[in-house]
Amino acid sequence: MLPESDLPLRLIEERAFIDFLGPQDEPWLRVLLAEMARFEGRRRRELAERLSEPLPCEAPYFKRRAATRALLRLWRGASTGGATPPGPARPAAPRSAELRAELFAAAAASEAPTAFILDQTARQRGITPAALIEALFADLPGERPVRAPDPPPTPAEAALRTNLAIAQAVLMRASRVELRVEGGVRPIVRLAKLRGLLCTITDGDLGEPARPVLEISGPFSLFRHTLLYGRALAELLPHLAWCARFELRAACALRGRLAKVSVGSGDPIFPAAPPALFDSRLEERFAADIARLAPDWDVIREPEPVRAGATLIFPDFLLRHRIHPERRVLVEIVGFWTPQYLATKLEKLRQAELPPCVLCVDQDRACAPGDLPAGLPVVPFRRRVDAAAVLLQAERLTAGSGSKAA
Amino acid sequence: MRLVFDRGTLLLADLGDLPATLDVGQIAGVLWDPRVGGYRAPARLCYAIASELRRRGVRIAEQPCPDLTPPSEFRPLDLRPYQDAALAAWRQRGRRGLVVLPTGSGKTHIALQAIATTRTPCLCLVPTRALLAQWATALGAIWDGPIGQFGDGVRAVGPVTLATFASAYRHMASIGDKFGLLIVDEAHHFGQGSLDEALEMSIAPLRLGLTATPPAPGPAARRLTTLVGPVVFERTIGDLAGRYLAPLERITWRLTLDPDERREYDALWEVYRRARRAFEGNHLAGAWEDFLHQAARTDEGRRGIAAWRRARRILAFPRRKREALSLLLGRHRAQRTLVFVADNETAYRVAREHLVMPLTCDIGRAERQQALARFRAGALRALVSAQVLNEGLDVPDAEVGIVVAGRLGGREHVQRVGRLLRPGDGKRALIYELVVDQSSEVSQAERRWEGLASRERSAA
Repeated sequence: MLPESDLPLRLIEERAFIDFLGPQDEPWLRVLLAEMARFEGRRRRELAERLSEPLPCEAPYFKRRAATRALLRLWRGASTGGATPPGPARPAAPRSAELRAELFAAAAASEAPTAFILDQTARQRGITPAALIEALFADLPGERPVRAPDPPPTPAEAALRTNLAIAQAVLMRASRVELRVEGGVRPIVRLAKLRGLLCTITDGDLGEPARPVLEISGPFSLFRHTLLYGRALAELLPHLAWCARFELRAACALRGRLAKVSVGSGDPIFPAAPPALFDSRLEERFAADIARLAPDWDVIREPEPVRAGATLIFPDFLLRHRIHPERRVLVEIVGFWTPQYLATKLEKLRQAELPPCVLCVDQDRACAPGDLPAGLPVVPFRRRVDAAAVLLQAERLTAGSGSKAA
Repeated sequence: MRLVFDRGTLLLADLGDLPATLDVGQIAGVLWDPRVGGYRAPARLCYAIASELRRRGVRIAEQPCPDLTPPSEFRPLDLRPYQDAALAAWRQRGRRGLVVLPTGSGKTHIALQAIATTRTPCLCLVPTRALLAQWATALGAIWDGPIGQFGDGVRAVGPVTLATFASAYRHMASIGDKFGLLIVDEAHHFGQGSLDEALEMSIAPLRLGLTATPPAPGPAARRLTTLVGPVVFERTIGDLAGRYLAPLERITWRLTLDPDERREYDALWEVYRRARRAFEGNHLAGAWEDFLHQAARTDEGRRGIAAWRRARRILAFPRRKREALSLLLGRHRAQRTLVFVADNETAYRVAREHLVMPLTCDIGRAERQQALARFRAGALRALVSAQVLNEGLDVPDAEVGIVVAGRLGGREHVQRVGRLLRPGDGKRALIYELVVDQSSEVSQAERRWEGLASRERSAA
């Protein structure tokens, strides 16, 4: 993560504004990338030294520092093809650690001059003293050869990656975030919970479409502004790029005070890899089956979350009739279950006055003895969800609303 | 009522049967958490809260308690009188507190004895991965039980577990309820805010901190007292030199720069001074960090910072220092010598020019341990390091130290000097300082020794 001293920020009163890189920065980014390309094959330490000094063109100081760090990290991630000394191709290089052990032990055991010991050790290895010195630390991170990622980033991509690094470095200094998000909430909540964070719903504009306001924080955030969860909070950011719309607000400890920061849709941030379309092969097959069986119904994967009391429910699918859109059924594929759990869940959904819900229940994953609750919209399955049975339930549950609409 | 450990905090559950007069939110450290609709407190207050609730007549049905098998059957350990006294002082203060002793005086022994006598699952926090291995070896010498570890790619819990500060910070949310005793090596790293949660998220009521350089009185010292306990025992180099620590002799070599180096240094320093003066014109008594921040905004300031970096590079290892080092390494060929430099790059230059094994953060742990073992056995006569040797690593019997350059000031120097003080038969530790005349190094060197002397004075 970028250090605070390298962040292009403007602090105005109690707010911090991130100076994102944009098209206006591409000329100097092009020069920076060209400079990095010049050091291909040379030592990383030399490149880092070079980049600690100004570029041969005008470049905003903080943006350049941030871009340099972000790109160096990208370069370090590129495969170096092993720790070989820089320069033209040589015969197989001896392992540097072995060379060190051998050379320094020989020096400790002998009173001969340095040049003699070097010469002797090099001769035993069948290389020249210069090659020996060259290979001595060739395995260490700073001594490894510079290798550009393949393909190297364009100036535009470099700007996006730098922006992500800047925004994440800012969020690293947050203790909690407030997130207004639309579309693709589920992966965000899942990721947050996986990182041990607490997700709570605060009052927001839960109109149509639903736009829940999530507050994401860690247990310890209650006591003071802690950076304990900064990394986990920052990890959410590139995934938000896949939401239809989002606005993230946080108070971040910047330059000795707490400043409000806001990041949202449209900010030029490099996105994470796209989320998987389906959680499992089972869901993927069900989606394909029902789409084939019911051409009159739209199958919407991971619809917007619905609020039931103080919690949000994330259904797996929404079946919506194309002609009568008021005919809507939620479908949830349940993993482990007990009869009591199913009855409670359906009751909760009913009380929340949500669209009817069909629960598809894996018969092999019952966690308590007992039969499936009778008379409830539950479709049992083994290995493959019976799309026809789900469709039948959907037709039955929405028959009234369909006829009303008709 | 139940007290439940929740990711480094304590949740107070089942509040239904509380006396009507008791307001849980009034207990020190307990806050209402609207996110879960319950009361929550930092885990470190677990025993204090439980005791307070019991005092007020609340029956606690469940509370977090270390459930690992307590370690036992330790082999006896001989302690020196001052180590015994330190342990007794710690016990007397309710087994919470800091023991302040110079490097090389055997702080680890005190901790091992504390673990052996306390007999409760214990978590030892150490600053670096290199120290994990060192503690494991020391522990293995008196105990045959399984040693847990968090750090260096390992995540395993045992009745005695070792963890780096960074790993403890990351994992205390999941292991904070497993230990009754916390040992904090080099405890001066805590109290400054950045890692403190690692200590706050543990329920351990018993805590022992070890350091050679406690923080000066102020907010950090107060915070450390809250997290670990007050200073319960302190001895300085002066108290122990002679019998328990080797006597120390300091020799400073004032060196000059060659004319071309001097010209370049002066020119660079002038560029830096111009930027510095411009800054000081607007910021009276501004800190170094403020200068860096402000200077980065102007061309002149940026040139000043770049010039300061280059000037420092010249001072790090100019020709005269190279010659002096060569001379000293030759003079002390028969003695184990530690060379301290400012940065890794200089360490590698020394290694290449004088064929001295470098110990840097880049060199892998196994190779570093191998090098230290060979240094102990006499197969390596000298080691060069920028920072790895500064803190904690046990380097016995080094007799000569050569400070080519330093970066981190007084605390670094106290630690570096400590590397040489482990006692030996008739041993007299020698520390050479190579200082470039008419440069910023002169005042730096004086400040370093002033730091050491002031520690002596404050202890007296």
